[in-house]
Amino acid sequence: MPGLDSLDGFLRLVRTELDLELTDQDAETELAALPGWDSMNLLRLVTLLESGSGRRLPVPTVLAARNLREIYAVLEEAA
Amino acid sequence: MTEAATAYLASVGTALPGDPVDNAVLGKLLGVSEEWIDIFVGTRSRYFGRDLGTGEVRWSLADLCAQAAAEALESAALEAPDIEFLILSTTTPDTLLPTTASQVADRLGLDYLPVYQLQAGCSGAVQALDLGRTLIASGRRAGLVVGGDVTHRHLDFNRDLARIPTDELVNYLLFGDGAGAAVLTAEPLGEQVAVRGVLNSLTGLGRPAGQTVDWYGLTDRDQDRPLLREDYKAIEEQVPVMAVEIFWELLEQVGWQVEDLDHLLPPQLSERMTTRIVERLAVPGVHEVSCVGETGNTGNALPFLQLARLLPDLRSGQRALAVTVESSKWIKAGFALEKV
Repeated sequence: MPGLDSLDGFLRLVRTELDLELTDQDAETELAALPGWDSMNLLRLVTLLESGSGRRLPVPTVLAARNLREIYAVLEEAA
Repeated sequence: MTEAATAYLASVGTALPGDPVDNAVLGKLLGVSEEWIDIFVGTRSRYFGRDLGTGEVRWSLADLCAQAAAEALESAALEAPDIEFLILSTTTPDTLLPTTASQVADRLGLDYLPVYQLQAGCSGAVQALDLGRTLIASGRRAGLVVGGDVTHRHLDFNRDLARIPTDELVNYLLFGDGAGAAVLTAEPLGEQVAVRGVLNSLTGLGRPAGQTVDWYGLTDRDQDRPLLREDYKAIEEQVPVMAVEIFWELLEQVGWQVEDLDHLLPPQLSERMTTRIVERLAVPGVHEVSCVGETGNTGNALPFLQLARLLPDLRSGQRALAVTVESSKWIKAGFALEKV
């Protein structure tokens, strides 16, 4: 999936697709503290990442992620 | 408080189209692994009147409602001439006119009787029951109450579902198609379950809608406003609170203590939400009757699907309470039953 080869690209995707207003620093922000974030956003993000990358993301690891950087790390590991 | 003339549930019939669609199939359509659906909604399967492969609509709302109503009639050992009214509630009628209610009457061979259609969501079955018992109280001897919904106009699995807004996407995880029906009688017949109380109360004054189901016509069909929008955060927050209020309001209405209760039919939003609501109601020892894990949220059909599961377990003298919340404009609904 284009744009997913860097954390910046990943954040861009989250901003555009989920329509969330994020700054670059928000990679480290607790998910629950992100403006507009909720569990359905996580589902949409997983859907985008799984269908876009063709990779299966391990459910327990994604659920344990505290912020977007950690979700991106899961995606990289699944590569 | 009980009504001067009690109405009785004589029988229940249900209809679910085709084979169940499990989370593996739904996950493939959504482009996500099935584990995620399990985590987010917990619902394990649902049914669709539309063939998800070919797009063909194989069961209309009238098909499902007529099937459920015919089953209810047969179980009550009644025939068409015995039925003196028909009430059908739905969010998703096949056509605006003729009403699905009158189409179902036609399928059942009913004529020369009042036929009502209620436009409603999750409180529809209770609204139908409320109107039905009023008709019984006014002198009718037997009637049919029917509820059902179909999703084929509102859920399109051919879209890129990863790219639709979350308040629309959530509906793809929750809903399924189905119908249910019950025969109401003035005298105890068949199952002989007395309707002791009904709660049917709009509480949405000044409150924004929790669930919107829209429709398009000739002049606005090119607009891109979503047909379904669910404010799931408001629903998650408010439905459990309202469910507890309904539970206690109904108990008070019929003058029962919580210890008098044998069965509970809780709201059926999704397996996860229902579990949370039941935990919050905190009535240990009361048997929970739920179906959403297997049927999905079928809107107007839900209380009938729950009743079909309740009746084999409901013994003479036992009491059951059903609680439902319609989050469109926040309607509190429920009923209290006692097998005589």
